[in-house]
Amino acid sequence: MREAKDALVLLLAGGIGSRLNILVGHRAKPAVPFGGLYRIIDFSLSNVMKSGLTRVGVLTQYKPLSLMRHIQNGEAWDFTGRTRGIKILPPRTGEKDSDWYKGTADAIRQNIDFIRGNQSEQVVVLSGDHIYQMDFDEMITYHREKNAGVTIGMMVVPKSEIHQFGAGIVDDENRIVDWEEKPKEPRTNLASMGIYVFDTEYLLKALSCDREEVDFGMHIIPRAIEEKQVYAYPFYGYWRDVGTIQSYWDANMDVLRADSGISPEEWGIRPNTEADGRAMDRAPARFAQGCTVQSSMISAGSVIEGTVVNSVLSPGVIVRKGAVVRDSVILEDSVIEANAEVDLAVCDKQVHIGEGAVVGYGDEEAKSISNREYPTHLYSGITLIGKGAAIPAKMRIGRNCIIRPDEKGREKRVFPAELEHSGIF
Amino acid sequence: MVMPSTLAMILAGGRVDELGVLTHYRPKSAVPFGGFARVIDFPLTNLMRSGIERIAILSQYRSYSLVNHIGTGAAWDMIGRHRGISILPPFKDYENPHWYRGSADAVHQNLDFVRYHKPSEILILSGDHIYEMDYRDMIRFHNEHDADLTAAFIKVKKEDAALRFGVAEIGDEYSEGGSLLSYEEKPADPKGEWASLTVLCFKPEVLYKVLGKNQAAASYEFGRDILPMMVQEGMKVLGYKFRGYWGYTRTVNEYWQTSMDLLGSNPLIDLEQWGIRTNLEHRDIRDCQPLKVGSQGVLDNSLAYNGCIIEGTVKNSILFPGVRVEKGAVVENSVLFFNTLVKEGGQLRQVVSDVNTTFGANAQVGISSIGGSSGRVTVIGWNNHVPDNMTVGCGCSVAPGIEEEKWPENGLEDMEELQ
Repeated sequence: MREAKDALVLLLAGGIGSRLNILVGHRAKPAVPFGGLYRIIDFSLSNVMKSGLTRVGVLTQYKPLSLMRHIQNGEAWDFTGRTRGIKILPPRTGEKDSDWYKGTADAIRQNIDFIRGNQSEQVVVLSGDHIYQMDFDEMITYHREKNAGVTIGMMVVPKSEIHQFGAGIVDDENRIVDWEEKPKEPRTNLASMGIYVFDTEYLLKALSCDREEVDFGMHIIPRAIEEKQVYAYPFYGYWRDVGTIQSYWDANMDVLRADSGISPEEWGIRPNTEADGRAMDRAPARFAQGCTVQSSMISAGSVIEGTVVNSVLSPGVIVRKGAVVRDSVILEDSVIEANAEVDLAVCDKQVHIGEGAVVGYGDEEAKSISNREYPTHLYSGITLIGKGAAIPAKMRIGRNCIIRPDEKGREKRVFPAELEHSGIF
Repeated sequence: MVMPSTLAMILAGGRVDELGVLTHYRPKSAVPFGGFARVIDFPLTNLMRSGIERIAILSQYRSYSLVNHIGTGAAWDMIGRHRGISILPPFKDYENPHWYRGSADAVHQNLDFVRYHKPSEILILSGDHIYEMDYRDMIRFHNEHDADLTAAFIKVKKEDAALRFGVAEIGDEYSEGGSLLSYEEKPADPKGEWASLTVLCFKPEVLYKVLGKNQAAASYEFGRDILPMMVQEGMKVLGYKFRGYWGYTRTVNEYWQTSMDLLGSNPLIDLEQWGIRTNLEHRDIRDCQPLKVGSQGVLDNSLAYNGCIIEGTVKNSILFPGVRVEKGAVVENSVLFFNTLVKEGGQLRQVVSDVNTTFGANAQVGISSIGGSSGRVTVIGWNNHVPDNMTVGCGCSVAPGIEEEKWPENGLEDMEELQ
């Protein structure tokens, strides 16, 4: 019984995730809402819970407030009790260290006291920004069988995508013999998922070698490979790094498709809707007479009078008569007024699209005009509307556009009548 | 600031026969309502919004579902040093060998609890009604006129009130109400046109006295015994005129009608605006994913909560969490409780289905065998599996958990009961 359950979990939730653009303007990437009711970190936390692991440290750094509010005391994932618990570990000044976390390994190093204070045989290091379902208990068992120093969760990806990942080359026993961080020329299709099981002793030793080694993928893992200590744990299920607008949108759309392999409720993923007050005491979604809803997910508190096709709606979204929402992700309490059109967009919370406005006009050709300031963020046609932005009636917004969030206290913006493709306002 | 010290007692013990199969295994106050909530959430939310902090629930019949639903009381913010919900089950002691013999007896048996809290007034509520009310207005009225008892009433047509409600005639002394001129319990030919909401505000000393006196009687009900006694004895009883919406759920047909009041473009009950709260822990509804609509799904003039999967057609209906409507199935004018499954080709019309019930492929339920609509609701108890191709007429009633071989091969005729 004790065995694998003893592992300590460290969740890296500090990264900026800047490729998510304005979605991470005011919140950490793991706190970005996903799939209508969830936040990205719910997937990792629920996996930890379902694997029977009970002690978690969450390493935060960048804009942690929304994340901290979401995690609360961890009750949503049963992390409450005498010996179970979840702790937020922000960077802090100490006798020697007075710095921010400089990288994944550095962040763990700065919390060595937490690791020592929570006796364990293994430490599981996870990212808080992946959408997947995985049993870490199985992985820990595998790690012990292999007698490894480090085991890395790895999955097969198309060779064309390997340049985004740490890539491992394995022998017949799944021992990793070579490692390339984000290789330009693919030699393997085995990609690191950023999930590590360390032997606690081995981890402490590895971290004590050289304080300049701040990153797992760049420093710690290559040296461990030299020491023949690293094994790959193959994973075959659904897993997505939702660190870009495109992958964020793709993964949301995956939730809509029955054959995509992702199913939050069946996976037992727990949201923490109570963290936002009475978010979930909202009444059931109301579908008005004559509305059309197809291939979509709709959350409680929403009111649908118009048309919603192939979209994911968070709680409290209102789609008025004659309005059309297509291929979009709309976050909490946004309002799409009568006869407005939203096509291929991600709208943050409390967005207001005025009557007859159009978000995402333009044909396939227009979709290929990348955003002029962030061509690597928006290039497939998706338009981003920032939190609280109020798009005036009749305004027209093209493809790959960004409307910045509305900032409280700032003078009211005067929007142009039209924002052409690739524009920012 | 003066601490509010009203003690509220909710009468939630009863099982009401007319609700039939819906209350076989739960008290009426725990019956689901509104697509995610329970009937008792309405008085509880009203109490929360009225700033009343101390609540007791008198519960006797099959109380598990209710106990489970109340939980810690946190759902209504009723948790803290001086705030809370206490569930008061019946008990035995040296003097008292009885179950609760009626609503008045239930309160009488718990008078030590009541006195302990030294309330400034005692609010007795029924846990069975759907309404939005700020009790503070009524309590203010009660105290302003130093009444012994103030009872809330709503105006109804005399013919609707006959045999159903406690009916009063109320004087016009004040804009909020006046003296109770007469009170009759479920009269055949009502004198007044004001029906009792079973919202009663008592002066504590008066309540202790009348409950003590009532113990010598043979019946122990607030409506039938206490109110008439107080009027007869010339105590200061005021009627408070309530002018909002009041939904009655005593029979299956009334329950259905009140549910339908949630629908339409101008619903009589606006759950969102009322700010209704429920315990999301109950049946784990907070862990449901958003409602999923398939490529062929249709939702029209309906309410549906998270966790539903809609591949078929849903019209004028209310769906609780976890309801699944498969391809080709049609659900109309119906209320489907948690985790109801309507399989491919199933047709439901004017049906109330309790939890965990499956309607087999091509089953036809609530559809009159003689054609046309009788306007009668068909109700299916929980944990049933209606066989494939089964036909069930309208106005039928099926008890919970019917074994498969008990289903008659040629179906149920209109108004038939299956037990």
